[in-house]
Amino acid sequence: MPAFASLLAASGVLRVASLNMCTDEYLLLLARPRELASVSRLSRDPADSSLWRLGRRFPENRGDLESALGTRPNLLITMGGGGKATAMIAGKMGLKTIDLPFPATIQDIASSMRRVARALGDESRAQAWLGRLSRLRQAPPAPRDAIYLGAGGNSVGARSVEAEWMGLAGFRQRTLPGGRASLEMLATTPPKILLRSTYRRNERSLGQTWLDHPLAQPTASRIIAVDGRPWTCAGPLMIGEIERLRAAL
Amino acid sequence: MRAALVLGLILAAAAHLLLPLTPLREAQAIDPDLADLILVQLRLPRTLLALGYGAVLGASGAALQAAFANPLASPDISGASSGAALGAVIGGYWLGLTQPLALAACGAAGAIGTLLLLMGLAGRRADTATLLLAGLAISLAAGALTSLALALAPSPFAFYDAFDWLMGSFTDRSLVQAAAALIPAGIATVLLLRRAKALDLLALGEDVAASIGVRPGRLSVEVIALSAIAVGACVSVAGAIGFIGLVAPFLGRSLTRGHPGRAMLPAAAIGAILLALADLAVRSIHLDRPIPVGVITALIGTPLFLWLVLTMRRRLAS
Amino acid sequence: MTSLVTTQVGIAGRLEPTGLTVEAGQLVALVGPNGGGKTSLLRALARVERSSGTVAVGGEDVDSAAPARRRHLLSFLPASRDFAWPIAARDVIALGLDRPGQDRVEELIALFELDQLSARPIDQLSTGERARVLTARALAARPQILLLDEPLTNLDPYWVLQLMAILDTAAQSGQAVIVALHDLTLLPRFDRALLIADGRVQMDEAPTSLMASERFEEIFRIQAAKGGWAVRR
Repeated sequence: MPAFASLLAASGVLRVASLNMCTDEYLLLLARPRELASVSRLSRDPADSSLWRLGRRFPENRGDLESALGTRPNLLITMGGGGKATAMIAGKMGLKTIDLPFPATIQDIASSMRRVARALGDESRAQAWLGRLSRLRQAPPAPRDAIYLGAGGNSVGARSVEAEWMGLAGFRQRTLPGGRASLEMLATTPPKILLRSTYRRNERSLGQTWLDHPLAQPTASRIIAVDGRPWTCAGPLMIGEIERLRAAL
Repeated sequence: MRAALVLGLILAAAAHLLLPLTPLREAQAIDPDLADLILVQLRLPRTLLALGYGAVLGASGAALQAAFANPLASPDISGASSGAALGAVIGGYWLGLTQPLALAACGAAGAIGTLLLLMGLAGRRADTATLLLAGLAISLAAGALTSLALALAPSPFAFYDAFDWLMGSFTDRSLVQAAAALIPAGIATVLLLRRAKALDLLALGEDVAASIGVRPGRLSVEVIALSAIAVGACVSVAGAIGFIGLVAPFLGRSLTRGHPGRAMLPAAAIGAILLALADLAVRSIHLDRPIPVGVITALIGTPLFLWLVLTMRRRLAS
Repeated sequence: MTSLVTTQVGIAGRLEPTGLTVEAGQLVALVGPNGGGKTSLLRALARVERSSGTVAVGGEDVDSAAPARRRHLLSFLPASRDFAWPIAARDVIALGLDRPGQDRVEELIALFELDQLSARPIDQLSTGERARVLTARALAARPQILLLDEPLTNLDPYWVLQLMAILDTAAQSGQAVIVALHDLTLLPRFDRALLIADGRVQMDEAPTSLMASERFEEIFRIQAAKGGWAVRR
């Protein structure tokens, strides 16, 4: 076991590194500053993460084991495997690894929150978040037909975790062929609610130009702008989004 | 023949605008205004762009061929289309310009840049081999730079747009975009068409043209500038589309008994019809992935291009 | 009497500023060694290149004339027979007119005996046939001044004589004809001969006296000999 890892283990100080933006969210919400060794580059980028100001207080890694080692972690958080090799190599170096699954339901996210809090030594840290979740679940509004619209017309699956979050705000994501909304469909059968993502809105791409088309802003729909950044991971940060949407109605 | 062209144009325009009919009928059933909305906001820009861009490629292709005295000069082979794409990409993705007219100007600037580079490399009265080599080299370089510019652009999604920029697309364009492209392109094309007689005289040779009072140097510069503006504006909205600018003038000249300047007008009509039909073909193929319209124009154009090369060989040999 | 008057036309490096006056109906020959300036003079007169000085035809300044008017003032036939586009012979001739005129085109086709070839693309004609088509184009608008650079060079003996006859007729009808040529045997048929060498008009007189002069033999480096010319020692 490498010298520094054994020293740290002996001293009992926990230092956690997270290797991707979605696991960063758990860490940034639950860890104390001294416990945080590094977060991925994306969590420090305003274009990608709504927690970027918080993320900038900590060192960054490039999402791989090698760049994380420099900040001397003794616990690694990965998601969806992160490559079997990472866990194995980390183990050989005396680093503990937690691998969180890609969330298929909100329940998965809740379980992951508890798990990370436990690994940090105090499961009650997840309590505040869990409380907000149960309040949202108490009396969800009656569902209305809705579409989440990103660049180029890309949307989310009707049975995805994003759709489940939308359900908590009273929106029922429509089933779309290919997971994409077409301009004809928006004109012919506009949804009651249209959630327009502002993700990377000021950066030009053909997908962003698509959103400027008159038919992409149907007059019959109530259009609500949403911060697209938490939707990338559709993880614990979505709580804030849904609370805000519920309040807006 | 003129009547046949006009008829063909109307038929192609109608087909492109109205087909497929079913979604329009369905929309009509829901709400009469809806069909109009789809027709005007979605179908009309697409049809106007296909016809207009095709006409621009035909007219400017014929003009460039007349000015360079070479039947192989065209917006794509001369590098103008690729240069326009590069200009529009840099303007949109790097300089952050969003106004369609500003992007059209960037496209025009890119096209002018590559055409001037071609003139500098090959000279104005270059033989076919030199012209082709220089044009292709510039075209390939501009295409590669466009891909690089997209890969390094601030937006991580820019790279996936490369296909559309380098092979063309008309889907989901708005009326504003169509206007930003076609108004400057239209003005430039009209100015080109007015030079038909002078370009015909250029066929007698630069010296004879000069003695008649046509200024060959100035005429070439005008043709280059106007072609670049027209092509650049269209590319900034719909990407670079090849082969029409080569094939339409060739067919146009067959209708004007070989006169290169007079051929601009029929070439414009033929280009419009060809591009509208190519885009119609693209939309009729039902696949998950959209096929860029440039693939179809390449399929139409390559056999004709090869035939052109063979006839040129025969002509030079005799 | 319409005429051609120039003031100090020159082309930097190839033709010294030259003043020239040619009367209507004159048949003028330009002779001189290769690279001496014959073509440069014709190009300067035709306003093909940026040249200093002015050219006036019948009192009218050529440079300020509109293209439609210019064709009636002068026309230029370059020595090259290249043609970029496969345009039919009769259409090439028609390009010489500023207003469509089928009658005039037919007239020229008959004059140059191109009836069999009139519909054929010019790039499929032989050099001599092409020469006839391009010369017909130069004559089409009946300009007051004809500037022809080596029009006889690619022609067979029949056509050399025919073209000389055509040029004679043109001169008789009032046009001034200036021809650059190499074949000295034709020189006596002209009214006036200009000897150009080293970018300068060296001599300007009647052909016979020009050919008999010492200067002529010096410049051409040839001398009269039995049956024609011989290299001068």
